[in-house]
Amino acid sequence: MSQLATFIEEKRQNKPILSMTHVVYGYPSVEESLSWMERLMQEGVDFIEVQFPFSDPVADGPSIVAACHKALEQKLDVETCLSQLGKLAKNFPESRIVLMSYLNPMYRFGLDKLAKRAAEENILGLILPDLPIEQSATYQAACKANGIDPVWLVTPVTPPDRLAMLASQASGFLYCVARSGVTGHSVHEGKAKQTSLDDYLAQIKQHANAPMGVGFGLRERDQIEQLIGKADIAILGSALLDAYNQGGQEAGIKLIKDLFQ
Amino acid sequence: MQSENGFYGQYGGSYIPEILYSSQQQILHAFEEAKNDPEFLAELNKQWQQFSGRPTPLTFCANLTEHFGGAQIYLKREDLNHSGAHKMNNVIGQGLLVKRMGKKRVIAETGAGQHGIATALVAARLGLECTIYMGAKDIERQYPNVFWMKQLGATVVPVTTGAQTLRDALDEALRDWSSSHEESHYLIGTSCGCAPFPEMVAYFQSVIGNEVREQSVAQFGQFPDRLYACVGGGSNACGLFLPFLDDKEVEMIGVEAGGKGLELGEHSIRLSHNLGQPGIAQGFATMFLQDNAGQLQETHSIAAGLDYVGVSPIIAHLAETGRIKMTYAMDDDVIAACTLLLKKEGIIPALESSHALAGAFKDAPNLPKDSKIVINLSGRGDKDIFNVAKAVEDETFPQFLTDYLASYPTTQNKGDKA
Repeated sequence: MSQLATFIEEKRQNKPILSMTHVVYGYPSVEESLSWMERLMQEGVDFIEVQFPFSDPVADGPSIVAACHKALEQKLDVETCLSQLGKLAKNFPESRIVLMSYLNPMYRFGLDKLAKRAAEENILGLILPDLPIEQSATYQAACKANGIDPVWLVTPVTPPDRLAMLASQASGFLYCVARSGVTGHSVHEGKAKQTSLDDYLAQIKQHANAPMGVGFGLRERDQIEQLIGKADIAILGSALLDAYNQGGQEAGIKLIKDLFQ
Repeated sequence: MQSENGFYGQYGGSYIPEILYSSQQQILHAFEEAKNDPEFLAELNKQWQQFSGRPTPLTFCANLTEHFGGAQIYLKREDLNHSGAHKMNNVIGQGLLVKRMGKKRVIAETGAGQHGIATALVAARLGLECTIYMGAKDIERQYPNVFWMKQLGATVVPVTTGAQTLRDALDEALRDWSSSHEESHYLIGTSCGCAPFPEMVAYFQSVIGNEVREQSVAQFGQFPDRLYACVGGGSNACGLFLPFLDDKEVEMIGVEAGGKGLELGEHSIRLSHNLGQPGIAQGFATMFLQDNAGQLQETHSIAAGLDYVGVSPIIAHLAETGRIKMTYAMDDDVIAACTLLLKKEGIIPALESSHALAGAFKDAPNLPKDSKIVINLSGRGDKDIFNVAKAVEDETFPQFLTDYLASYPTTQNKGDKA
């Protein structure tokens, strides 16, 4: 079993559901984003999903897009980000860091180098939402060689045979997108048919040996409670960023406590 | 040009969020079926002829030919399509495909507005809902097109993120598609994006080159020696060039936007001068203008339609293999080419197309007198009246605008009159 899956299994012995909180590296400044990550770990979140900003984050909604653009006003580089995350990972052994970004900045950094450096800095998982599994042979090989898990996404509209393929290939954990669309509240209100979340998660579970994380649109305690027993991790992204934007770290921590305690 | 699993050499592919996988596959299959269905092709031809006005002529430019004293200059008149640009060829094709797939709504992004207008026209004709994303800066530059899109019943959404131009509009359209893919089709206007869009758009645009093949033989008894097209996303270039790909004697020249200079942010030159770098973004792999950290960069062109950070993977591949020669034209040369065509031939070109003119005019004097060149006049220049007036420093235009505004019935004036 992978390091990430082992960590999740162990933590789940004592918790009905784990928390994964999303932070945009460099927003509103590098120092403040690191301070925010540190605070989240002090508060005992199980995972931090750190987004390395990209100029064109097409799977994200307005809150995260705005944060990425703001963060990119500074000169950000992947190497510095990895080193800084490595220090955090070392200081908070009870939590884990997963790095999320888009393909282009990671491709420029070098996918082999990324997997190697992530492993060195104790970052156990990588999420690249615009890399389809069909184009990922090199990336998968680099992850495998370094003991890192490439985290794959499935969605309510992933066809059944593809869902089975992705779920069966998942390692670390499988990122289950809860609904159609981009992250967070969106100006785009799709009319996509809503599969029952329970049915969707049950269908995934038939094929997945890896733990399951659920994200996109989680904002309410009811939503988190609904996931208990059906998923392992609840992923909090735009809602946390919105709370942080409105009331800083204290508002963000209050939201996490309201949702998870 | 047939891709190999969506790739043209190292470019192309399909790098989209998982949420779009099913829709992308649906389009892939629908397009494969449609292009082999005689009924679909007959309807496509009918709409091209009866709605858009095809075939467009190949116009000999006697005065320009004499002016330069070199190659014989012909224009492929895509400006004479309904809506005034080549964009109509592709939009009619995809519009019919949308009906075939049973979807009710189209989403599009637009830079200069020509693709937005074409999409809004076809949506109105086919009874489809239509939402157009346009960078807020492009809206300022091309408001007449925005006006017509609205009159045609489309919803025009200003995009205020990033540089507020085409690239940002494209990102926003992709986000809309992620949320609405079950009822909406993302009608991409250029031969970019995830597979099969580059191939599909190039297929619909190839009507341009196919007509030139017939017309050139009929009018001057041979294929052209050289073809010129401007390259933003690359759809008009694909349309003109691809039907001649195997005719090795035909040279092909793509002209990018040199803008104000070669500093990053001042131009949209991806392929000439090695200014772009290979990258993967917005659903596909191509040459992008980006920094060393892989962040896409701002671009500039006097022509909003060429102001794009990436380029068709088909064009990137053909440029890399040497089949297409790439060059660029600076804003000033573009204005000069535009005004020369106006004065010598009585034709009003779009600023996008004026890049192709500028590239060709540079070469024309040095080519043999019996050589024949065809320049794709991809669009007409009506939409550019404000930018051209400013660029040529027309003294009376500002006064016209002032007077017109003074006479415009504002809400306040209406109230006063009542």
